[in-house]
Order: sequence, then C-alpha cells, then structure tokens
Amino acid sequence: MVINMGNIQAENEEIQKNMREVARNLLNDKKVDMIIGYAQGTVPLSSSPIFIRNVEEVDNLIWDNLCYVNLARYVVPPLTEFVDNEKVNLKVGIVSRGCVARSLIHLAKEKQVNTENIKIIGIPCNGVVNRRRIEKELGEKEVLELSVSNDKVIVKGKDFEKELPYQDYLNELCKTCKVKSPPMSSSLSDVIVGDSLEVTSVEDDFADLVNFESQAPDEKWKVIKELLSDCTRCYACRQACPMCYCNLCFVDQNKPIWFGKTSDISDIIVFHLVRAMHMAGRCVGCGSCSSVCPMGIDLKIINRKLEKIVKERFDFTAGLDLEVMPPMMTQKMDDSEDFMLGEH
Amino acid sequence: MVSNKMKERILEKDQIKQFHEDLARYYNFYAPTKVKGNFVFKKITNPDDIDLNYLNSKTPPKEILFPRMETLFTYKMDGKEIEIEPRTDLEEKNIIFGIRPCDAYSFNLLENFFNFGEFKDDIFLKKKENTIIMGLGCNSPRSTCFCTSLDYNGHPHRKDDVDIFLTDLGEKYLVNPISDKGKAIIDKLAWLSEANEKEVQKAVELSDEAESQISTELDLENTADILDPNFNHPLWGEVSENCIGCGTCTFLCPTCTCFDVVDEVDQYNDKGKRVRLWDTCQFCQYSLETSGHNPRNSKIERCRNRVLHKFSYYPKNYNMIGCVGCGRCIQLCPVNNDLREIIKKINLIKNKSKKEEVTVA
Amino acid sequence: MTKAVVKSKQEEEWQPKIIAFLCNWCSYAGADLAGVSRIQYPSNIRVVRVPCSGRINPMFIIKSLTDGWDGVVVSGCHPGDCHYITGNLVARRRFAMLKELLNFFGIEPDRVQFMWASAAEGELFAVMIRKLTELVIKLGPNKKFEKKW
Repeated sequence: MVINMGNIQAENEEIQKNMREVARNLLNDKKVDMIIGYAQGTVPLSSSPIFIRNVEEVDNLIWDNLCYVNLARYVVPPLTEFVDNEKVNLKVGIVSRGCVARSLIHLAKEKQVNTENIKIIGIPCNGVVNRRRIEKELGEKEVLELSVSNDKVIVKGKDFEKELPYQDYLNELCKTCKVKSPPMSSSLSDVIVGDSLEVTSVEDDFADLVNFESQAPDEKWKVIKELLSDCTRCYACRQACPMCYCNLCFVDQNKPIWFGKTSDISDIIVFHLVRAMHMAGRCVGCGSCSSVCPMGIDLKIINRKLEKIVKERFDFTAGLDLEVMPPMMTQKMDDSEDFMLGEH
Repeated sequence: MVSNKMKERILEKDQIKQFHEDLARYYNFYAPTKVKGNFVFKKITNPDDIDLNYLNSKTPPKEILFPRMETLFTYKMDGKEIEIEPRTDLEEKNIIFGIRPCDAYSFNLLENFFNFGEFKDDIFLKKKENTIIMGLGCNSPRSTCFCTSLDYNGHPHRKDDVDIFLTDLGEKYLVNPISDKGKAIIDKLAWLSEANEKEVQKAVELSDEAESQISTELDLENTADILDPNFNHPLWGEVSENCIGCGTCTFLCPTCTCFDVVDEVDQYNDKGKRVRLWDTCQFCQYSLETSGHNPRNSKIERCRNRVLHKFSYYPKNYNMIGCVGCGRCIQLCPVNNDLREIIKKINLIKNKSKKEEVTVA
Repeated sequence: MTKAVVKSKQEEEWQPKIIAFLCNWCSYAGADLAGVSRIQYPSNIRVVRVPCSGRINPMFIIKSLTDGWDGVVVSGCHPGDCHYITGNLVARRRFAMLKELLNFFGIEPDRVQFMWASAAEGELFAVMIRKLTELVIKLGPNKKFEKKW
C-alpha cells in the first residue's frame, strides 16, 4: 500500500489523474475495448495489474512507485490472445511508463504486436521503489505500509518506522533511466496518447559499468558467481520479461539438450549468459526481471551492459523508433572487426 | 499421547552454541540463516550463523529433505557395462531446528504424497525417518498468515508435528519435549536447566497473544464442495488474468511436490547422474504430451489447477486440505495474485458462508 | 585415436583441446590446402565443418565451453565472398555481441576467436591456428564451467 504526501505525492496524484482521464476518454470514445493498468495491491510493497473493460472501473487504476511489472508482458504470446467471441482482435490500451512503451515499440518492430490494436497511455514515470532491497534490509520485520514524502520513502511496520532517501532506494535501473515517458515519433502519433517525450537518441556514458569492466576476467567471474549464486532456476525473470516470448525456451529444449537444468553454479551462469545473449539489442532496462526475482537478484549490470554494447557498436537504443532496424536483425558491409583475430 | 510428561527445559540464547556443538557431532544440523538478505535453511557448521530472529524463511524447509536438485544415483560406463552407484547418505541423521509450526505440518503433507500407493519414494521417506524436527512458535505472525483457518487446527504455537517445541521468551527459549525422539534428545542434553512455572505461563500467554494477532480468516469449510461442480466457472478467467506463469507460488510452497527427472551426462568421461529437479504446473510445457496435445494449454487452466489441487483434489485423496497457511504465495507473487481473494470469490459462488470473513484490506 | 593413446598424452603434459567451426566453402578448403601443401599447424584443433559461418548459433560456442573445450575458433569467408552472400555478415554481428558478453562475464577473451580465411589462404590459416593455440596454452585448461559430479 502506498500513501503519499508531499512533493512526490503531488506528482503521483497528477500522473494518476491524467492517466485516468485519458483512460476514461479512450473507453468512452470506444477507441479501446480494454485497458491494462495497475491497481492497489492487497499486500504491502506490491501492486496488481488489472484489466478493465468499463468506464466505471477506471477509478481502480492507480499510479504509485510500486508499479514495477512491465505490462507489455500481457500483449505478447503465449499469454492470452485478446479476442472477443467473434474472433476479432480487441483493441487494448496499456498504461505505459517510458520503458513499457519502449518494450511495446520494439515488440511491434519484431512483429509480435500490431500497433493498430494497441494504444500506449503515456505517463511521466518518476521511478519505482526497490522493494527487494527494502525487504532485505529490514529482514525480519514485516512492512505494513510504504509512503512517499518529498524526497523520502517512509516504511512502517507494527513497531517501527524508518525514513529512507527516495533517490537512493529506487530500482537501480531507474537511477540511470533516460527515457521516462514514451518516446514519440511520427509513426507513433496515432498510437501514443497522454504523456510522451521527443527523443531522437539517448546519450549515456555508462559510468556505472566502468568499475566492473576494469577488473581482470577471474575477478569478474567471481563477482558474477557471487551475484547469481542464489538463483533457484524458477524462471520468474524470463516469465516477467516481455521480450521472452519464445514458444519453447532454450532451457526446455531437449533436441538437443543445450545446458543443464540444475542449480549447479555453472548451469546457473550459463542460463543467464545465454538469456543475456538473446536479449542483445532488445532489453529496454525496465527492471521487471530484478523486481520479480523471489531471491532478490539484481540483474542490473547485465542489462546495462546489453544497452552499452548496442549503443557503442551500433548507436542503437531499443524501442525508440519504429523505423530503425534493431542491430541483430540487420548487418552492414563495414561493421567493425576489432574483436577478431588477425591484423584489422 | 505420552504417559509420563517430561518437564520443560530452558535454553538460554547464549547456550545455542553449546546446543549446536553437542548435536552437530551426530546430526546434520539445519537451521535458518541469513544468506544475502534472505532467510533460508542451511546446514550449519558455525553456530554463529544460526538466526532465529525471523518471520519465516523465504524458501520452504521442504528443500532440506526434498531439495531443489537431488541426485538419485550416479553411474559409470565401462564399454558396455554400466555400474550404478546408489545414494550412501540416506542413513545420516538430521535435525531441523527452528522451523515454524506451519512448515512442520507441511512435512505431514509431503509424507502423504511420497508414501502414496504402490511406489513409495524411498529417498524422501528414509530421510524423514532419520530427521528430528524442532519447532519454534511464532510470536508475531505475518499479516498474510492464515494457519488458523485451515482444517488441521493450525495455530502459531501448534506443537503436534514436531519432536521438540521451542517458545521464544525474550532472553531464552522454553524447550518442550513432545515426542519420544524429542525426549531422548533432551535426556542427552542434561545441562539444560529446568523451567519454572512463570516461564511456562509466559509461553502460554505468548501463544494466546500470537493467535489473536492472526488477521486473515478464511472460510474453508465448504470450499472443496463448491469447487467440484464449478470447474468451468468464469471466475477462473477473472482470477488468472494477471498471472504471468512464473511459478514462484509453486516453487516456494512448502507442500508442492512436482518434480522432473533428467539425466546429466559427462560424455567425455563416460559417467553421469540422474537428477530430480523441482518442476511446476504453472509452466506451459508441464502438461505437454508427446503427441503435441496440451490439456492445460492456457493459464486459466493452470491457475485453476493449482487451487483445485490444494483445495479439492488433496481433500478428496487424503482427507485434508493441501495448504498449511504459511502465506508465502501471497507474499511473493509478483503480480499480487492473492489466494485469499480467490477463496473469497469461490465462497461467493454458493453465497453461503458459516462465519463472516474478516480480512485486512 | 584410441583411448590408450589419448591417456598417455594427457599423462605427459596438458595439451589444449580447441574446437574449430570452419565454413565449408572458404575456411575448410583453406585448411585442406594447408594440409595438401604439407604446412604444419598444431593438431590441437578438432574441425567441425559447417556450410557457413552464419550457421553458427552462439549456443554452439557456449556449449563448447561448458563441455570443457579449452578454446573455440570460428572461421568463415571474407566479407563480400560469402557463398550465401550475407551469411558471414550476420555472423560477424552475432560474434561481436557474443565476444563482448563473454568478456563481461569473465571468460578469458583469448579462448574464443573469430577469423576469416579464404580457400587460397592455406599458409595464413596455419599461422592463425598457431597463434591462437599459443594464446590458449598460456591461459591453461578451462575449469570455469566444471560441474560437481
């Protein structure tokens, strides 16, 4: 549950009011048949995605800093295909922070989503609180209420109250986010309603990776081992990610069996390595994978590295523009060969 | 019931080291410990790692006797000859220390499953036979706990499923020997001082206080009867809408037992092992048949299956509800798919409930 | 090679095992040419012939590392010469990505190499193989993905 007061509360209220207004208009004008958004959670520190079909339900939509699920997950196969009884595709409006909109745009580029069937309800995201970090740091105390005031996060339990700096306790990927609202472009002027941002390209110095990358290979391996050692192979990260929509994931394939399914550390690292490989040029850095991990593993350095590779090599940022081909779907004669053996 | 009741003992908090030292000599000592911020049950070698200051562990204690990844046997190949090496560690004795009453009860449900029918799971049953369970009462249950709503007379200080029961009195634990196995252990630890009347009374007070703190009450009396004829009810579409099929609810459930068996082969060294891994009915491929047909093709069917398994099939087969009320699935579901809401909706179908449901908003 | 011979070789000193994915039209022919011209190159590499370097799924390379191979080399036609026109260009992008990720995870960069070798470049092929075998020997055996058996 989130009760807001102060500066960030004012922001959240504004965002919520505008979002509900847009949603109401879309439903009244019959531009969409269904809206996917967030509702109040029944458990502290969580929010619940809802699917509303009537104008009366619009007031259930909320925006608070605990809306961490990437809603683009719900429009991608193999989850529910939105069809009505006459087998006609329903039009769906999706409450979108910047990263959610970027997921939808990239999925449209990969032809998994039809832009004629979606409406991106843009909101100017002001961050998502890192609930796993708060849970871990409080450990044995149960959080019953979370509120935001000015620039602080206030957590209350049965017999304690703690103030934490808001900026510090955001999701790690939110801290380096550069596209807080859906990126507008000419091809999307019909699709995006509500708030949006004019973005042509995103500048980023990736300073947060410098420390890690300067280490020797053996040390990097140790850090990665330490980071991933808790992994239980539950695949919640894969299920929460909108980009993981393969009908048969490589871990489930048995002709051939690529890698072991056990929770031996080498199998765990290989799973994340191959998944990162599949995310190359597609990850938008929404942080859902880290938010849903039951063990609280934070995959941020891997996600940031994926962004860095495509930015530095191909000057590409995922999900900004429907017209730009993603780097792994195309190739050029004069691509760099700096990684190859020989004189180049 | 036991004829001669043994008197309760006191274990001071600074005596835990001694407690561990005396027992770890003969037993694999498992207790809750904090690993990277998460409370999990691990085999303890250093008694300073034991941390009983917890609400409940993130991963359920079933993973001690039914681990996430378990080698069933290893084998070596020599030309055409195959040599199978069975498990050698099943005779080892185990102690599970500081487990919550709901999780202790879950071992009964697990035992039912592994003991059912013609093929009994020797590995789990053997380990369970060699295990002594020491429970710890909950003094402050979570808002998502609902052990009292279930049919096994669940209670934050339930003593029936453990060999020894501890109550946290603040500076010390009241030690209550329950079963014969428990008494034998207490006998061996002769240095434990006897408890006085005041301490025993305090434990009773804490127990009553804990019960009053349980805020979630669910009416489960008629649930099994309502579920059977309502297999195709539209409510299942409603409650499964926001599910993402991650399987967290099943992996962290103390009573879920589904597993997959795979062979891992070290082909360059002619050896391998057969491994049992946790599986979940929430994944699409779980029920995929070789013909290509999938009886649970959509998440509506998979979400429904989980609820039916615990609240309908289990009561039919074993006469008990297949849920212990620990609340982990409610706490950890990433999309806040709340089992309590589902049960409420189920009860509304018949529109008759014996007692008013009181829930926390 | 019989087991007995392999075992005694292992007893003497460790020799790296390097798997080489060679594209059929250029690199495999180049390796053939080296053989026919009696140009010596280290026998540590085990060749797998593929129709094109674009056939290589990055998972082949990762699986080789997890199976215990000490080194992996992928060789294809020069850009512009691919028998399937753009196969090697696709491969080039993929491998750039894979190499960066492998480095990031802490796998020594010299274990996995990519190169171009045409059908006429027998000598060059041998030189490159000698070079990368040296690099792998310096790194030692690949123990990172060893599993507990």
